[in-house]
Amino acid sequence: MTGLEALPSGAAFRGRADGFADYLVGPAAGRRLIADRFIETFEAWGYGFVVTPLIEPVGTIAAGVGGAQQSALFRFMDSDGALLALVGERTVSVARVVATQLHEGPFPLRLCYAGSVLRNRALNAGRRRESLQAGCELIGADGLAADAECIALAAAALERGGVEHIQVDVGHADFIPGLLDSAGLDATAREEVLAALARRDLVAVESALEATDAADAERRLLLAFPTLRGGREILDTAAGGLRGERPHRALQELAQLWDLLEAHAITDRVHLDLGAVRDWDYYTGPTFEVFSVDSGFALGSGGRYDTLLSRFGTPLPATGFVLHVDRCHDSIVRRAGALPAPTVLQVSWERDAHADALELARALRRKEVACACDLVAGGDGDVQVSSSGVRWSRGGHEERGSIGAAVTALTAGTP
Amino acid sequence: MKGLRIALPGGALFESACSLLGAAGAARLDPARFDRELSIRDGDNVFVKVRPTDVPVYVEMGGCECGIVGKDILWETSRECYELADLKFGGCRLVLAAPRDSALARGVWPLSLRVATKYPVSARRFFAARSLNVVVVRLHGSVELAPLTGLADCVLDITATGRTLAANNLVEVAEAGTSTARLIANHAALKTRNESVGALAVALRRAVTERLAAGAA
Repeated sequence: MTGLEALPSGAAFRGRADGFADYLVGPAAGRRLIADRFIETFEAWGYGFVVTPLIEPVGTIAAGVGGAQQSALFRFMDSDGALLALVGERTVSVARVVATQLHEGPFPLRLCYAGSVLRNRALNAGRRRESLQAGCELIGADGLAADAECIALAAAALERGGVEHIQVDVGHADFIPGLLDSAGLDATAREEVLAALARRDLVAVESALEATDAADAERRLLLAFPTLRGGREILDTAAGGLRGERPHRALQELAQLWDLLEAHAITDRVHLDLGAVRDWDYYTGPTFEVFSVDSGFALGSGGRYDTLLSRFGTPLPATGFVLHVDRCHDSIVRRAGALPAPTVLQVSWERDAHADALELARALRRKEVACACDLVAGGDGDVQVSSSGVRWSRGGHEERGSIGAAVTALTAGTP
Repeated sequence: MKGLRIALPGGALFESACSLLGAAGAARLDPARFDRELSIRDGDNVFVKVRPTDVPVYVEMGGCECGIVGKDILWETSRECYELADLKFGGCRLVLAAPRDSALARGVWPLSLRVATKYPVSARRFFAARSLNVVVVRLHGSVELAPLTGLADCVLDITATGRTLAANNLVEVAEAGTSTARLIANHAALKTRNESVGALAVALRRAVTERLAAGAA
């Protein structure tokens, strides 16, 4: 006996697409709680919640994201022949909203969102095709204070959501391209190195650099890529012997950003990581990723993207980030076990006491105690209502009293 | 949690991987012990022996922080891992080979070509930039048989010595890539376990350099 034969099979179990998930009562509540706490945190920092559609025209998405992300869209045609897609991320949608409806400000504009995003990825990969993301966009502010705010807010939201031991890696999108420029690499070699870095292939970076006549200081830095991380002190190490204005400017921005993060009191959770960027076409300034030792994936990421809004005809500086709710949920469950399912009091009643039971249930719910009232008499619930009064147990002891006394006792300790 | 979980590839690279880890002072592993145990703890680290194609899966998904795997496996995977070091053992080449008496073997490329391979991603990449009408036939083993049976005109396969190709009357027409063993790491582990992962990479690189120097001397 394996128990397998007891599981529903055949037609009864068909009907869910691969790569998608059902979330049952406990996990679904846990996942929603995390998203709610993220949004509460965003709103507490002054970010207004907006909702954008699950579907956008392919043309709108293509204006915002690169080829790799475009090829991973679920696309379809509507009855007018318009080519549409399920969104793979929501920053582009928010940018579209700002460019078309909020372009008169007031700036800076603080917006937040949460919703499903879909990726049409290979099956069997063990990766989700639908995931829940929550994010913030801070639009119309070009100073580093905006970048620092986003980093501090991402960290605050993750911690409020229950993720432990977070670590933020902060980099700069212009550092490596600037470094390659000042190293005197020709365009081909430059593209080769950037492509290898985007593939995370450091062996190819090394062999591409060996084939060039890059100056020693720059080559040394590029080869040290995975170890270019630490506190503010690594900026001085990196600056030594470096020529060219661009990489120096990136380092200066990171130094100022570090001071701002110190003012936000989060530098104990921050590493500067000069090699931490991949999406050079999209990001234009500081970037960051958030990790926890409990997950093999980044839990959140973001950065400055000053060119996106101009692709929608509204040149505005912008910075923002996204948090991956499902990965956060996995990470919390991995450390602490499944989140406790919400407790629900079962209210039972004897014949003639149905109305009393419903009255008790209404009173409990007004005090935000979840309860479900039996639909038929004679149940064996946590609370028993009869025409002579209410019985309930507290701390192992059985107590009796009026409806009012029961409400007082059962809501003790709740706000 | 100081130690790392490290995925090792079963098969041709396995013993060399164990011996390089020994030379680097990272672990003393007796390859034969893995016949009885799938997972072995050595010091702070845990080593698991898995199928080579599974190494990037373990590493990307966070089941292991690091892994050792041939570049040829990485060509074919869509898994995202950091490739930290070329370990310079397990060398082999990906070559296009055709029957000795074929036109292709004489350097005459037909307009359409049927290619049998265990490396469909690499095959598509190799032919992508070339104006040939190519049909890639994905096989799981013994691709040399495909030209013999008329299943394909040629093969795209890994060769270390060229002996298997020669024994099957195949000659190399073009090289599509060279492969050696690589150290790979999980994205988040590279950040959250940076010191351990970095130390492993440095130790292995040093051992590789020393081996090459000893080999040259």
